[in-house]
Amino acid sequence: MADVVNVGVNLEAFSHAISGIQALRSSVSRVFEFLKDGMKNRETLEGREKQFIAEFQDNLQAVNRDLNELERLSGLVGRPSESHPLHNSGLLSLDPVQDKTPLYSQLLQAYKWSNKLQYHAGLASSLLNQQSLKRSANQMGASAKRRPKVQPSTLVLPPQYVDDVISRIGRMFPDMTIELFRPNGTSAVLLVTLGKVFKALLVMRSLFIDRTLVRGYNENNYNEDGKLDIWTKSKYQVFQKVTDHASTALLHYQLPQMPDVVVRSFMTWLRSYIKLFQSPCQRCGRFLQDGLPPTWRDFRTLEAFHDTCRM
Amino acid sequence: MSLMRSELHFSNVSFCSVCQVPVAEGKSVQHTVDVLHKKLEQMGSVKQGSFCVDCETYHATNVSGQPSKLLYVMHNSETPRSCMALYEGGPCIVADANFDVLMVKLKSHFQNAKGHKVECRGSRYRYCDFLIKVGTVTMSSSARGISVEVEYCPCVVPGDCWNLMKEFMQSFLGPSVPELPSVFATKPEGLFAQAEIVDTMTQYLELFNKLRKSQIPGSNVR
Repeated sequence: MADVVNVGVNLEAFSHAISGIQALRSSVSRVFEFLKDGMKNRETLEGREKQFIAEFQDNLQAVNRDLNELERLSGLVGRPSESHPLHNSGLLSLDPVQDKTPLYSQLLQAYKWSNKLQYHAGLASSLLNQQSLKRSANQMGASAKRRPKVQPSTLVLPPQYVDDVISRIGRMFPDMTIELFRPNGTSAVLLVTLGKVFKALLVMRSLFIDRTLVRGYNENNYNEDGKLDIWTKSKYQVFQKVTDHASTALLHYQLPQMPDVVVRSFMTWLRSYIKLFQSPCQRCGRFLQDGLPPTWRDFRTLEAFHDTCRM
Repeated sequence: MSLMRSELHFSNVSFCSVCQVPVAEGKSVQHTVDVLHKKLEQMGSVKQGSFCVDCETYHATNVSGQPSKLLYVMHNSETPRSCMALYEGGPCIVADANFDVLMVKLKSHFQNAKGHKVECRGSRYRYCDFLIKVGTVTMSSSARGISVEVEYCPCVVPGDCWNLMKEFMQSFLGPSVPELPSVFATKPEGLFAQAEIVDTMTQYLELFNKLRKSQIPGSNVR
C-alpha cells in the first residue's frame, strides 16, 4: 500500500517532468529549425551576422533553461522502483491496460514456479544423495567437493593408455577381434567382431563406453563415404534386441574409479553372445520365442534367457 | 563379358535350408501349398512378394567316348543379375546374367536338353528375421512337388543355427523335419564355414533331380 501512496504523491511531479521534456524537445528542434533557415536578409552583412548570432544564442539559452528545469523536476520524481520488491519489473504493474497485457501477473506466476522448482530440486537432490545408486555407490563416502575432481581425471586419460587397455582386453578374448578407430579427435570408436555372430560398435569417451550398437556379421558398418556408421540400427530384430540389452549392460557395469575394469567386464559379458544362436533358453529350454533366440544374458552368470523368460 | 562377379550380397549370404514337402494324400499340390500359406499366416508371417528359381540342363558333348556330363545353369530371383552354373560333380561359377548368351555360343560343346527345364515359383513370407519361400516345382508345365526354403537372415554359419532352424521348421512343417542339408555336411571346413549362394542353389538342384527321378504322381496333380 505504501507504494501506491508514494506513487500518488509523485504523480504531479511526473506530469511536470513530462511537460518539461516536451519543452526541451521543442526548444532543441527550434535550434535546428533556425540553423536550417540560415541568415535573414538585412541591409549590411555585419547586421545579418549580428542578428543571426544573437538569435542563435537566445535559442541555445532556451535549451539550457529547459534542461535545467527538467533536471530539477527529475530530482522531485525520485526513484520509485527501488522500493518495489521486484525492482524495475514492478513498474509493469503500473500498466493501466491489465486485460490486454497481463505481463505482470504472468511474471509473478513464473517467479512463484521457479521458486517452487528450486525448492523441490533441492529436496530431490538431498534425497538422491542418500540412496546408494549403483552408478555412484563408490562416491557416497566422498564429500560433494571431491566429486568433480574424480570424473575429469578419468575422462582425460591419454589416448596411448586407452590403446593399451583395449589391446590387452583384445588379447584376453581370442574369438573377439577389436579394431580401434579415432574418427573425430581423441575419442575412440571400437568395432568388435564376435566370431561370425555379430559386430558391435562401441563409442568411447576416454575409457567410458558411451554408446553401443550391434549389427549382423553380414551387415555393413560403414557409410557410403567410407566412414563408420554409428547411428543406423541393424535391420534384424535379434540384433536390435541385443543392442537394447547391451545398452542396459552399459548402465549396469559402472565403476567410475576403475574404468578399465568396466570395459573388461562389459567385454566378458558381450563375449557370452558367441553362442547367441546355439544356446537354448535356460528357463523354457526352447530356442525360439516369437521368432527370436534367447537374447538376454545374465549379468553375473552369463546364462542365456529369452527377454520374457528372465527374472 | 565378366564371368566372375560379386553381387553385393554374395559374400555375405545367410544360412538357407531347402526341403521338399510331401503332397498330402489324395490332395492336389495347390491345396497343400494353400495349407502351408495358411499356417504361415496364422503364425504371424507377412507375405513379401514372390520368388522364382529355374534350372536349365546342358549335355557336354562327348569327347573321346567319355560318359557325358551335365551342366546346370540356374537363376534365382533373389540375385536377379547373376547366373549360377553348376557342373556335375565339379566346380560351380557365379556369373553375370548374360552368361546365358555365352551358353548359346558354346552350342558345339554344350547342348541344351530341351524339355528338362525346371522351375520353382511361389511366395515369400517374412516372420521376424526368418524368410520363408514356399514354391511349386514344375517340369514341362506339370507340377511335380513342393519346396520350402527357410532362411535365417542374421546368421551366416549353418552349424550355429541349425537347431534353432529345426525348431522353427517344426512349428509349421510338423515333426517331419529334414536333416541338415548334405551340402553343408560335406564341406571340408565343416559346419562352421560361411554359407554361400551356391549352397542354396545346390540344395535346389538336388531337390529338382530327386523330383525328376520320382514317378509322376496320379492325375490328381495339377
